[in-house]
Amino acid sequence: MSIIASVSGLTRDYIQGTITVRALRGVDLSIQEGDFVALMGPSGSGKSTLLNLLGGLDEPSAGDVSIEGTSLTDMTEAQRSNLRRDRLGFIFQSYNLIPVLSAAENAEFVLLLQGVGPKERRERVFKTLADVGLAGMENRRPNELSGGQQQRVAVARAIAGKPALILADEPTANLDSETGNALLELMKKLNEKNGSTFVFATHDPKVMAVANRVIKLVDGKIISDERQ
Amino acid sequence: MWQLLILASRNLFRNARRTGLTMAAISVGLAMMIATINFQYGSYKELTTNAISQLAGHVVVQHPRWQDERESQYLVTDADTVATKLRATFPKAIVTQRVQVGGLLRSSSNSVGAGLAGYEPDQEAQISDLDDKLIDGEWLGSDDLRGIIIGTGMADSLDVKLNDKLVFMSQQKGEEMASRLFRVRGIFRTGSADLDGFVAVSHIDAARDLLGGKAVAHQVAVHLPDARTSEADARTAANALQRDDLFVGSWLDAIPEIYALIQVDRTSSDLMMAVIGFIVALGVLNTVLMSVLERTREFGTMMAVGMRRTSIAGLVLIEATVLGVFGSALGCVLGIGISYPLVNSGIDMSGYMGETMVTGGVAVSTLIMGAWDPNRMALYACLAVVFTILAAIPPAWRVTRMKPVDAMRHS
Repeated sequence: MSIIASVSGLTRDYIQGTITVRALRGVDLSIQEGDFVALMGPSGSGKSTLLNLLGGLDEPSAGDVSIEGTSLTDMTEAQRSNLRRDRLGFIFQSYNLIPVLSAAENAEFVLLLQGVGPKERRERVFKTLADVGLAGMENRRPNELSGGQQQRVAVARAIAGKPALILADEPTANLDSETGNALLELMKKLNEKNGSTFVFATHDPKVMAVANRVIKLVDGKIISDERQ
Repeated sequence: MWQLLILASRNLFRNARRTGLTMAAISVGLAMMIATINFQYGSYKELTTNAISQLAGHVVVQHPRWQDERESQYLVTDADTVATKLRATFPKAIVTQRVQVGGLLRSSSNSVGAGLAGYEPDQEAQISDLDDKLIDGEWLGSDDLRGIIIGTGMADSLDVKLNDKLVFMSQQKGEEMASRLFRVRGIFRTGSADLDGFVAVSHIDAARDLLGGKAVAHQVAVHLPDARTSEADARTAANALQRDDLFVGSWLDAIPEIYALIQVDRTSSDLMMAVIGFIVALGVLNTVLMSVLERTREFGTMMAVGMRRTSIAGLVLIEATVLGVFGSALGCVLGIGISYPLVNSGIDMSGYMGETMVTGGVAVSTLIMGAWDPNRMALYACLAVVFTILAAIPPAWRVTRMKPVDAMRHS
C-alpha cells in the first residue's frame, strides 16, 4: 500500500497574548492508502490541529507535511488550494454547507472548481448523492434537510471530486446516535468499496470501533498508534 | 463565471431587506443626480442659446480690440462684404450685423443714459426673442431708420408712449457730438430692470449714422443650427474671409464669461454629487463588509474545498457589481421619472423673480425648463456602478488576507 500522507516532526504553536501554547509537539505519522484512521484524544489534545495541518488549512510552526510525496511546506497558498481541490476532501462537524446552494449544487461545487464539464458533473453528482442515500433530494437547500442529511451532502461533496484523502473533523458529533451510526456505516462502505482513505478526528467510540487504525493523542503527542 | 454570478445573486437575496435598502440608497442617490443633471442641462442650454442670440452668434467677426475694450471706434470696416461672404460660406445660417452706441436718450420731459443697439431688423427678429417681448407697438420695419424700440423702464423714466419723439445723443470720434431723432415704434418688457431701463434698439443704419460711418459694424454674427460645431465653424469662417485685421471666433471666444459661468456651476454641482456618491459608497461599503464578516466561516469552507482566495474576493466584487448594476438601472428609471415633468413643464419661478432674470448679463426666463442630457446620465449611471465596486474592494481585499483555518474558526 502506498503512503498517501505523512508528517514528520510536526509542531504547531499558538500565541495567545504573551503565552505560547504548543498544540502539537513533533508528531511523526504516515497514512496509507485505504486507511480508515481514527484520531482519538481528549479536547485540546491536538486532533483538529493535526487534521488542519494534514489538509493544508494551517501552516506548521516546525516540521513537514507531505501529500502523495509532495511537501506542503514550500507550496504557495494557490498551490495548496489546488491540492485541496484535487486531492483532499473535507467533512466538518457543523456540515459547513453553502446555504444558498441546493444539495446537488453543494456536491457539485468542488467539481466546478476542478473544471469538470457540465454533463459529467451532473452524472457524478446524482450518482454520489444516490450513493449517500439522498436520491430525490438533489434540489433541496440545506435548511430543508435534517442534520444527518446535511452531513450526507457534506460527505457527497467530500467524495465527489475523487480525492486521495478525506479528512473528517468530528463528523458525528452533532448527530443523534442512530444518524451518526448510519453515517459512519456509509463512510466505512465507501472506504471498503472505493478504497477511499479516511482520517477522523473524533471523540466518538463508535468511530474507534469501525476504524482499522486508532491513533491516540495526548497533549500534542501520539501516545499510541494501533491497527485493528 | 456563470455559476459565480448565480451564487452572487443568491447571496444578495440572503438578506433581502439589507440588499433592498442598499439598492434603494444607490438608486435614489442616482435618481436625484439624474434629475439635477437634466435640470441643469436645460438651464445651461437656455443660458447658452440666449447668450448666443443676445450677445454674440455661434461665430462672430469683430475688430480684434472690440472684445476687451468695447470702444466704439473698433469697427469692422466693409462689414457688408464680410456678411455677404459669410452668407455664401454658411447658406443655412442667419448672418446679422450689429452696432452698439452709448449715449443719452432725451424726451421732452427727461433724459436717461442708454445703450443703443443698431440691428438689422429682419435678421435680428429671427434670432432674438426681443420682438416677442413687445407689449405695445411693433418691431422695426426693414427700412425704418426713424423708429426706436425701448423698454418699459425707459418709457416710464422718459415719460413717453408710442410715436413720441426721442433724441439720441452720442459722442463721435474726438469731441464732436452726434444726435438723431427717433419715434417710439414699440415698447418691450423682459422683466429685467437692467434691460427694460437701459437698452434701446434702432435700425443699424441709423446707429451707423451716429458713428459717422457707412457699412461698418462692431460685430458680424453668424447663427447656425448647432452650437456644438461652433469652433470648427469659426475656423471655416476665418478661412473664407482671409482677413488678418479681424478677429474671427466662436461664441466661446466672444462670451467666455458665459462658458466660465456654466463650468463653475457644473464643477460645484459635480463636487456636491461626488459628496453624495461618497456617502452612498460608504453605505455600500458597510453593507458589503457586514455581508463578508457574516460569511467568513463560509468563505473558510470554500477555501478548504479548494476555491482560491482571489476567486472568493472576485465573488464579493461580482455581488457588488450586481448590486451596482441593478441599483443603477433602477436609479435611471427613477431619475427619468423625476426628470420628465422638469423637462416637459419646468419649474416656474416667476412668482418670486418676475418673468425674466439676468444671469451673466443674459436675460433668461424664470420658467426653467429641464432638458435630457443622455451623455451625462450614462456617465453617472456608470459611475454609480464603479463607486459600488470600489466600495467593495476593501472587504474583498480582507478576504484575500484570510487563512482558511482562521476563517473557519470565525463565529
